[in-house]
Amino acid sequence: MKELIKKLTEISSPSGREDSIREIIISEIKDHVDEYKVDNLGSVIALKKGTSGKKILFDGHMDEIGLVVTNIDDKGFLRVESVGGVSPYILLGSHLRFENDVTGVVGVESETMKDAGKNIKELNYDLLYVDIGAVNKEDAEKKISVGTFGTYDSRFYDLGKRLVSKAMDDRIACAIMIQAIKEIEKPKDDIYFAFTVQEEVGLVGASVAGFDIKPDMAIALDVTAGPDTPKGFKRMGFKLGGGPTIKIKDMASISASSVVSKLKSVAEKNNIPYQYEILIFGGTNAKGYQTTGAGIPSGTVSIPCRYVHSPHEMVDYDDVLNSVKLLKSVAKEEV
Amino acid sequence: MKFKRLKKLTELYGISGFEEPISEFIENEIKNIVDEYWKDEVGNLIAHKKGKKSNRGRLMLLAHMDEVGLMVKKINKDGTLAITNIGGVDPRVVMGKKVKIGEELKDGIIGYKAIHEQKREELLKTPKYDKLCVYAGHEKEDDAKSEFNVGDPIFFDTQYKEIGNYAIGKAFDDRNGCEVLIKIIEYLQENPVDYDVFFAWVVQEEVGLRGSGVAASQIEPDAAIVFEGTTAGDNPELAESRWAAKIGQGPVLTYAHRGLVPDRKIFDVIKEAAKKHNIPHQFKGRTAGGTDAARLARTLRGIPAGVISTSARYIHSPMCVMSLNDFNNTIKLGQTLITEGKVLSK
Repeated sequence: MKELIKKLTEISSPSGREDSIREIIISEIKDHVDEYKVDNLGSVIALKKGTSGKKILFDGHMDEIGLVVTNIDDKGFLRVESVGGVSPYILLGSHLRFENDVTGVVGVESETMKDAGKNIKELNYDLLYVDIGAVNKEDAEKKISVGTFGTYDSRFYDLGKRLVSKAMDDRIACAIMIQAIKEIEKPKDDIYFAFTVQEEVGLVGASVAGFDIKPDMAIALDVTAGPDTPKGFKRMGFKLGGGPTIKIKDMASISASSVVSKLKSVAEKNNIPYQYEILIFGGTNAKGYQTTGAGIPSGTVSIPCRYVHSPHEMVDYDDVLNSVKLLKSVAKEEV
Repeated sequence: MKFKRLKKLTELYGISGFEEPISEFIENEIKNIVDEYWKDEVGNLIAHKKGKKSNRGRLMLLAHMDEVGLMVKKINKDGTLAITNIGGVDPRVVMGKKVKIGEELKDGIIGYKAIHEQKREELLKTPKYDKLCVYAGHEKEDDAKSEFNVGDPIFFDTQYKEIGNYAIGKAFDDRNGCEVLIKIIEYLQENPVDYDVFFAWVVQEEVGLRGSGVAASQIEPDAAIVFEGTTAGDNPELAESRWAAKIGQGPVLTYAHRGLVPDRKIFDVIKEAAKKHNIPHQFKGRTAGGTDAARLARTLRGIPAGVISTSARYIHSPMCVMSLNDFNNTIKLGQTLITEGKVLSK
């Protein structure tokens, strides 16, 4: 499964520019599902048919955080703004890859030594620029235009039990869903797999993906913070390697208690390690389903992840495998 | 005067939640040149121009009728009116301005301490809304209460004028979009198309994109174009790289904004149409701020939309400046896209 994770995470495909990741996902699943479609906004929705007459939906977002070029100056330097949450501190000094495979590095303005200190302290996007190696505006405009999207340019690293990549958020969920699609045979319920767009700019795809399906239950798969680092968030108790988490709440939604108890009982019955998660910030696509139509009972299964929204997000491989197992076990039962 | 109806539209008073004078005016302008129209429960005005052929798709064009402004929050002991903002209004831009209060449009002013009364340190500080109030001719709480109520809307009071190639006035965000839609209906009278075109003048955009989703649910369009008024931000003290847009450089096209990356194919269709027909255009240099396109994407099965704006300096204030050339080009781009019909067949 590591090969699949590498393939999915090394693609550069930020919110609103999901074309290349969509292509890969479709090619991975098309021979293993009963049907699939691309919806109005670009989300891929696949179905594995069951027999119970009930419907369950799994969601993983296929976009990743990124950047967009807003200006090209006379010397050929670019200005960018974030697509989703990208900290200027983490951006500074990083290597970027844009559409058409143009790459660049990020620098910070400073005219004096005093500036240099002050600008680092008060870093913001107005002070950052991207250097794509162009010698002037004309040269830059040959390579890139305003409105071009990009992402961090970093590789997938296999550290054994731990895996690192720029886009574990949320390609790890895409990988888990693809793996489950390949391994699930004869599910009880109709199982819908929604690979949704534009989660990072505000849960866009998931706000409409369930509109026609009206599933009996929706479960978002996403990464969550890994707080078990030096002086990590002490108000949260889960950790990498402790198993997928069953979310109780975050800032966007409170999981339906029916979803929480279902996941808990399935995990316990199948000896799958799990942890409860209360996240004191952030939100997931579960909110999109909860507020669709007359409301869909929704919850979230998270994969603990360190350094979220950085070029190097880290997850635990056992958590990933246990998440696949959890999905497969859910598929064996009726909602 | 090049745009007489735009003058009327921008001079009408209609903050979020009080859009009726605008919808009444637009209704009168369009009622004889559309196939059907209706007002919905929340106050949106929706019109329909049927296509020459059926089943060729449904395109929705959208602009919001509301403007930013203020509201009476409390009637003070001294007969003045305490205020709060409706939509994003910087307190600095309302100081020393004339306003109209309530639906009867009574006169008032927002004063502030004279320069003589301010200490040096105070001079450049921005007062919060709790330090500002409207004086409307009363010295006592009871007198003011006989004329005003908490919740009365307060409107900027600015006349529209054209100075050379520029217009000055209020509510360019988004009465200029409202006018673009009317111009497109008039254009369709002479240049009909095969597919159905729906027009939605929506309420309460400025307080959180509240009208557009409801309008779209009634129309069920296949795609949409949002016509907006947007920030210019071409202030000379800022580096050009920080400008959102520059007035006079043409309609502004949006590749990304708050809460949505607008549909790429529609964005490309708009960009290519502008290029092909030599319509000057520019790209929004800032991704802050959203439009009703963000709501449309979250409505029904997800409605893909493009965003075309006319930029104005000092928007969300009583005094804005925009280029009439830009406005003309926005209308031209809109009409071109309607005739091409590619936004639907993307």
